[in-house]
Amino acid sequence: MGKLWLICIASISILLPFLCNAFSPETPTDRRVLVLLDDFAIMSSHSLYFNALKSRGFDLEFKLADDPKIALQRYGQYLYDALILFCPSVERFGGSIDVAAIVNFVDSGHDLIVAADVNASDLIREVGTECGVDFDEDPSAMVIDHIGYAVSGTEGDHTLIASDDFIKSDVILGGKKIEAPILFRGIGHAVSPANSLVLKVLSASPSAYSANPKSKLSTPPPLTGSAISLVSIVQARNNARLLITGSLSMFSNRFFRSGVQKAGSQIKHEKSGNEQFLTEISKWIFHERGHLKAVNVKHHRVGETDEPALYRINDELEYAVEIYEWSGTSWEPYVANDVQLQFYMMSPYVLKTLSSDKKGLYSTSFKVPDVYGVFQFKVEHQKLGYTSLSLSKQIPVRPYRHNEYERFIPAAYPYYGAAFSMMAGFFIFSFAHLYSK
Amino acid sequence: MPTNLNFEMARSLVGFTVLLLFLSICESASFFQPISDSHRSAAVELFSPDHGSLKSLEETYEALRTFDVLGIEKKPDVTATACRLVSETVGSSSSTLKNVFYALKANSIVKCKINDKAYQGIITRLNAAVDGASSLPDFYYSVGGLVLVKGSKGDVHLADADGIFRSVKAFRQSDGRWRSSSSNPESSAFAAGIALETLAGVVSLASPELDQSLISTLNNDISKLFDSIEKYDDGALYFDDKLVDGHDHQGPLATTSSVVRGLTAFAAVTDERLNIPSNKILGLANFFLGIGVPGDAKDLFNQIDSLACLESNRVSIPLILSLPSTVLSVTKEDLLQVNVNTVLGSNAPPLTVKLVGVFTSGSKAASLVESQELVFDDGTGMYNLKNLPKSIDVGSYTFVFEIVLHELEHEKIYITGGQKKVPIFVSGLIKIENAEIAVLDSDLGSIETQKKLDLAGQNAVSLSANHLQKLRVSFKLTTPHGLAFKPHQALLKLRHESKVEHIFVVGNSGKQFEIVLNFLGLVEKFFYLSGRYDIELAVGDAVMENSLLLAIGHIELDLPEPPEKATRPPPQPVDPYSRYGPKAEITHIFRAPEKRPPKELSLAFLGLTFLPLLGFLIGLLLLGVNLKNFPSNAVPATFATLFHVSIGAVLSLYVLFWLKLDLFQTLKLLGFLGVILVLVGHRVLSHLASTSAKLKSA
Repeated sequence: MGKLWLICIASISILLPFLCNAFSPETPTDRRVLVLLDDFAIMSSHSLYFNALKSRGFDLEFKLADDPKIALQRYGQYLYDALILFCPSVERFGGSIDVAAIVNFVDSGHDLIVAADVNASDLIREVGTECGVDFDEDPSAMVIDHIGYAVSGTEGDHTLIASDDFIKSDVILGGKKIEAPILFRGIGHAVSPANSLVLKVLSASPSAYSANPKSKLSTPPPLTGSAISLVSIVQARNNARLLITGSLSMFSNRFFRSGVQKAGSQIKHEKSGNEQFLTEISKWIFHERGHLKAVNVKHHRVGETDEPALYRINDELEYAVEIYEWSGTSWEPYVANDVQLQFYMMSPYVLKTLSSDKKGLYSTSFKVPDVYGVFQFKVEHQKLGYTSLSLSKQIPVRPYRHNEYERFIPAAYPYYGAAFSMMAGFFIFSFAHLYSK
Repeated sequence: MPTNLNFEMARSLVGFTVLLLFLSICESASFFQPISDSHRSAAVELFSPDHGSLKSLEETYEALRTFDVLGIEKKPDVTATACRLVSETVGSSSSTLKNVFYALKANSIVKCKINDKAYQGIITRLNAAVDGASSLPDFYYSVGGLVLVKGSKGDVHLADADGIFRSVKAFRQSDGRWRSSSSNPESSAFAAGIALETLAGVVSLASPELDQSLISTLNNDISKLFDSIEKYDDGALYFDDKLVDGHDHQGPLATTSSVVRGLTAFAAVTDERLNIPSNKILGLANFFLGIGVPGDAKDLFNQIDSLACLESNRVSIPLILSLPSTVLSVTKEDLLQVNVNTVLGSNAPPLTVKLVGVFTSGSKAASLVESQELVFDDGTGMYNLKNLPKSIDVGSYTFVFEIVLHELEHEKIYITGGQKKVPIFVSGLIKIENAEIAVLDSDLGSIETQKKLDLAGQNAVSLSANHLQKLRVSFKLTTPHGLAFKPHQALLKLRHESKVEHIFVVGNSGKQFEIVLNFLGLVEKFFYLSGRYDIELAVGDAVMENSLLLAIGHIELDLPEPPEKATRPPPQPVDPYSRYGPKAEITHIFRAPEKRPPKELSLAFLGLTFLPLLGFLIGLLLLGVNLKNFPSNAVPATFATLFHVSIGAVLSLYVLFWLKLDLFQTLKLLGFLGVILVLVGHRVLSHLASTSAKLKSA
């Protein structure tokens, strides 16, 4: 018996690594990340970033991008929860990985970080295109900014940019303001205006442009000004999260540790904002922030506690839902004041903002409309940086039954009175008619 | 051998990517800076007990060694912990060979108190280990341990040095690499470094001198090993073991570091001069410096330790030429400063730095200046070029320097690496003059409106034009030396109200920059969008200190109506902030209740409905209605009573029907009452009929 248990436990512990899946509310921890590199030297030159991830409990597995043994899945099970592509120059992935495999990986809800760089390979550009961003097509183009560059004694070509045009979102960049500008050296990309899932997290300044710094500019640059995105994120419809940037060196220890002074500014920051920015954004990418779950959806008539099978028109009802946010270690109450409930049949009949008790419980009460049919309780919560919540619950609404209408209508009393007085008259008349002599 | 071929391809590809990546990392610093304070702060940060390192003796030694080399004052707690660990390890007979080795290494830095008895025990242990060693690491730890003991006690020697030397040499491979043990078929440069260090130890421990021929064969092996050195484009050289199985792969830094340690240790004990080109040593130094500041404790130790080995090696000591700043401003009259140091940043021997030439980047023209010597400044310890030569205007240049050592003797000890090319940006304020914006009539080219622009200040020009006119923007750029200046970025941007942007490159002829926009030809490009266009001018260059991005003003364009097939303007990005956010609340509007008369009115009419009944009753009284015909007999009287009771019951049933009963209950009761009513009614009525018939007939 004891042996059997041992075998059981052993087999479970062997199988466990292969059972990992995308982020799910049930098993949000213990996440395995595959890091594909051009060269193992990146492990040491970018070690601060990797250590920051490791210290948060991620299990990083480093492989060369052209390693013939790499694979994302085995026997239909994904081996990793997230993929980091720090291999801007790889022409062809090794093993079974290709662009389609990466797209499938993301389509099944896994996260992805892509860093391109100057002379990025077509493969990495293709991955970028699949993610919804277009890198500058000129292979030797870089983002140049002659006004917003980082002052440096040794870098004179203004391709080292100090950028501080962040997206205004606490959930993506953390509650603490990023004081120091971000050092960036690499290629810019454009975000397709038709794609509503891609967000520019870090934009270039209006004076920036994307061109080859070594050759003369004869045609207008394809990307200019704040349309250039330096770092973009994508939140797919399945809540997979992606980070795309045109600079691998912005993750490097050198940029993390380097001081930064933006041209024209007197403030010299001891340390660039890269570490804070990239660490905070990686928390978002790996769902340590902004991932919501809704539980305990409840609705009932006012004064009751059980959920009815259907409502009657004009019923007063109460609706409550609990919403929690994943903090990396536990589910914390989600505090917001813009969660809205719709009572919906073809179009919303009632749309009401839920009131929160600041402990995750959102509730409201309203009167069922005087229209009967099959309604839905819908909570469609979409907020910048948060996963979208989409709850819907079907509930029929019936009209009054025949005996539920008002019985004694004062306006009808004269009619009742007339009928009853006639009946009384008839009763008296029957005596008078039959027995009067 | 397809697999082999694949492997070869993969190898070359890896090498290539390594190279590319490395370039991208240190492209910014194409010359190498010696060790600086950033290394010191990184070392303090990485080797701190709360950072998780300093757990094992090996890490403790690495921390101590790094602090020692960098000249960081040892923290008392680190020293105390180290001494505790050292005495524990040395005193115990169960500690592993590796731990004993690192304990002795750490001890050589912190100098803890170890008693003679413990030393004796260790010497016996290590001697036994040397005799029983079968793999390279065993030899390395035991011989290394003995060397360290000799360093502090001084009376240690190997009896059978020749034999040990030979058995270590058995691991040698023909290509200069070594195997780590006889069972491991893989040979590596990493093992070669360890082997060299071990053999250096054996040589120094040999009590009768070793056979010189043994040592000189090793010299050959080192040359072979250096044949396999790999090279980056910027002159950095390194060793890397490409193992098929990445299992115990050490990485280029650890491998190169191991070789450097072995090489310098071996060079220190041999009398012969090693046959290694000194520029290879410089290449190795460049490799370690090119890494910058590693973020990993082990990497930092490897880098610092190797550089420390190179700093005082007997082959040749590299000298590093570096510039604190490669961006010089003409307007601020910056000094050109050059630093010459050893790799760890200490002072170089007396020397002269010569500026050999200055070349414009990207052109093959002759040098702009004559060769000249830089002046040494005692205060800063740097070599300065007092004034930039007059022939150097703003632009990007390549300065070529050369280090000349003063003493011939030094040329054998130091390696300077010949001429050194350094890209230098000379920046300055560019004069902007004659800035104008004008609207021209198309046919004649006559000026309709013309406005002067002040490109240094604020402008708010407001112009208007139709599609038959032209817009001209012109300005003039001159360098501080009065020459024409061509900026990299000279762009004119027109932005329509709907955020559609059009960008034009402003061309130049000499100093004069001019762009003429002929709206007739641009109508289609502008998507026939009339309205207000904001005008922005961007002029910038890497060497232009006053790069500008200026909103000049706006132009009101009157363009023809678009034809049907005209292309639509592209969609503009939606503001992400407006895309989300709460929607307006919706409340359902309920059907209004029916209009009803006031209750009082209904009650008044209720009263009115009883008036006819009242009239009826009064009428009956006036007629003198009586009940004389009521049957007098008991049986018919009972039936008559029952009849009226049941009529009353049916009527009250109707009242109940109104008050609470539903139709079915009412009908049920009514059926029952009806039957009674019919039966009783029939008896009463037939009785009454027969009585009245009797009366009539009587």
